[in-house]
Amino acid sequence: MVRRILVSAALGLALGAVGATAGHAQSATKIVIGAHMPLTGSLARSGHAFDEGMRVALEACNAAQPRHRFEVEEIDDESTPAKAVSAVEKLAASGAAAIIGGYGSNIVGPASDASDKLGKTYVTAGAVSDELTARGLKTFFRINNNAGYQRGIAGLITDLKPTAVSIVASTKEAPTLLAEGLEKELSAKGIKVTVHKFDPAITDFKPIVNKIKVQDKPDIIMMSAYENDYVGIVRAAKVLKPDVKLIVGAWSLATPKMSQEFPDLMTNVVGTSFLPFPVEVKSPEGLRFAESYKAMYGKEIEYLSSLAFVETMVLCEAMVRSADAGTLDKGGLPAEMRKTDRPSILGRIQFDATGDNPNFALSMGQHRDGKIVLVSPKGAATGPLVYPGLPW
Amino acid sequence: MFELVLQAVFSGVLVGSVYALVALGLAVAFGAMRIINLAHGELVLLAAYMAYVVEGRFGLNPWAAIPLALVVVVSLSWVIFKAVDRIREHRELNSLILTFAVGIVLTNAILLIFASDVRSTSSPTLQDAISIGDLFAMKGEIVAFCVSLVLMGALWWWLKKSWYGRAVRAVSSNREAAGLMGIDPARIETTAFLIAGALAAFAGVALYTMSVVQPAVGHTFTVKAFIVTVLAGVGSIPGVFLGALLLGVTEALTVTLASSALQELAGMVLFLLVLFFLPNGLFGARARRG
Repeated sequence: MVRRILVSAALGLALGAVGATAGHAQSATKIVIGAHMPLTGSLARSGHAFDEGMRVALEACNAAQPRHRFEVEEIDDESTPAKAVSAVEKLAASGAAAIIGGYGSNIVGPASDASDKLGKTYVTAGAVSDELTARGLKTFFRINNNAGYQRGIAGLITDLKPTAVSIVASTKEAPTLLAEGLEKELSAKGIKVTVHKFDPAITDFKPIVNKIKVQDKPDIIMMSAYENDYVGIVRAAKVLKPDVKLIVGAWSLATPKMSQEFPDLMTNVVGTSFLPFPVEVKSPEGLRFAESYKAMYGKEIEYLSSLAFVETMVLCEAMVRSADAGTLDKGGLPAEMRKTDRPSILGRIQFDATGDNPNFALSMGQHRDGKIVLVSPKGAATGPLVYPGLPW
Repeated sequence: MFELVLQAVFSGVLVGSVYALVALGLAVAFGAMRIINLAHGELVLLAAYMAYVVEGRFGLNPWAAIPLALVVVVSLSWVIFKAVDRIREHRELNSLILTFAVGIVLTNAILLIFASDVRSTSSPTLQDAISIGDLFAMKGEIVAFCVSLVLMGALWWWLKKSWYGRAVRAVSSNREAAGLMGIDPARIETTAFLIAGALAAFAGVALYTMSVVQPAVGHTFTVKAFIVTVLAGVGSIPGVFLGALLLGVTEALTVTLASSALQELAGMVLFLLVLFFLPNGLFGARARRG
């Protein structure tokens, strides 16, 4: 914490000095961005990662242009939809020009509804439900979606040509949606798919894994869940040792943090990713992000922080364009958001008529000796897949 | 199918033994003071984080955290007791509000200190599989089961045989009458709260070695403990153990025979059925009548 404060202060001073030297500090117009994040409650882990990515992006936005000074007003939505709605209302009332959204489709849904009613542009990287973009909101934008995750996972599984796949899916909205999409897509390709949905409160996965071992006998176990579930599922699999060839998961699995915290469990496990570890960023923006992130937080960039970085950069750039054109306070921001077409560390970012990013696609990364190797699709791979490959 | 059911019962018994450990502290405090400590789950969680500190920072086996967890959790339990003890009016209701608030404060303190990441043991020894015939478990689960059995037995013996234990039961039955018999109810209630804290310390370390912890899961432990306490009926230590095993086995069998999505629902249905047909709990009726 002390380190973070010191680094932030140093960065602030440095940026301030640059601005003062250029003679722009006094003339820059202040633009407030509102943000609601789950900084406490069950989604706090994700909220903090988002918060970090957003703050690095704001520093970058302010450093990139002298005309506007972005400041963030952030409210903890405590991982609850009601608090998120009230946060949006409060942020709009206090003059936020746009809102950066929280995490979880069930929270982002009502929060973005409230934002739309208040005429505020709402951007998120933490809600993948298809229903969100089917509402027809003109002010809603997101950079990632269920289709992108499904494409990445289904692509890997299809290439491996398994005869059977067992999907272990949390009953939360996003994991269920992904599991159902994968079941449909893989079944259509002739793969036998069995889905085991589980309540997010459960911690002992041995009964589920035993069913997979004794009844399903799949080649691949696919986990559509979250970090705490992944640990429980892989641990149960390590105890029961089902005769499978690979364990695959979705978001927040192929991350350095999981590798560091649970090295014995993660070996050879595959999850969605867009960067290998150690981080190999090639784009100048990605390199700057990685450097600033490490300077501010003392660690390598995180999966969720990267999503937040990109959404914030995209929003800032659209706000700059809108402010320069004099339309920011006249409802011109959604139109500027729709003009977005830029490369990023997540790939090309554009928004369609529903506010979704049609280009969102992910690679698959495999944990290997503390590193994460991108193994699929072939074009993005940094190494071959270890298959069969298991943590035991 | 037989193989599946057998493994489910085995897994359910192992998980149930830890539910029992968590519930026992809540039951002891409730038995002595008629107060439901809604911060009990957070005390368990705090002990789990002590295990994380000892393993992560000092590289020791998580069970080596027991002395530290005992000091921290028992001290905090004493502070909670002192706060509850100051309530003069509507103690049952106001203590619920107070302990609920303490739970929130503890959750957020843990969040601030330890961040929101998922934590669990990385000890290969505790994570290793052990097989008993065709039944499989983690070594950590077997250790937790044994610890639970020993503590359960020790507590049962203490309540039955020791003067303090009998005094706790006397205060639990009739506070005024116990006072007239020369027992200091305040002292006995303090002891019960400290014992509850000690049990929470063991439960937290056990949970860390066999499951995952996050700052937000404290209230989940409280809810589980509450269900087990109601299932068992107040004042029955073997009842708490059997009630917890019943809950664990019911959950595991639901996953095996029906759907894993119904696991938590099955526990709640069991809870409601017992409340409806046996309001004194599975093992509390006879004692209450006596």
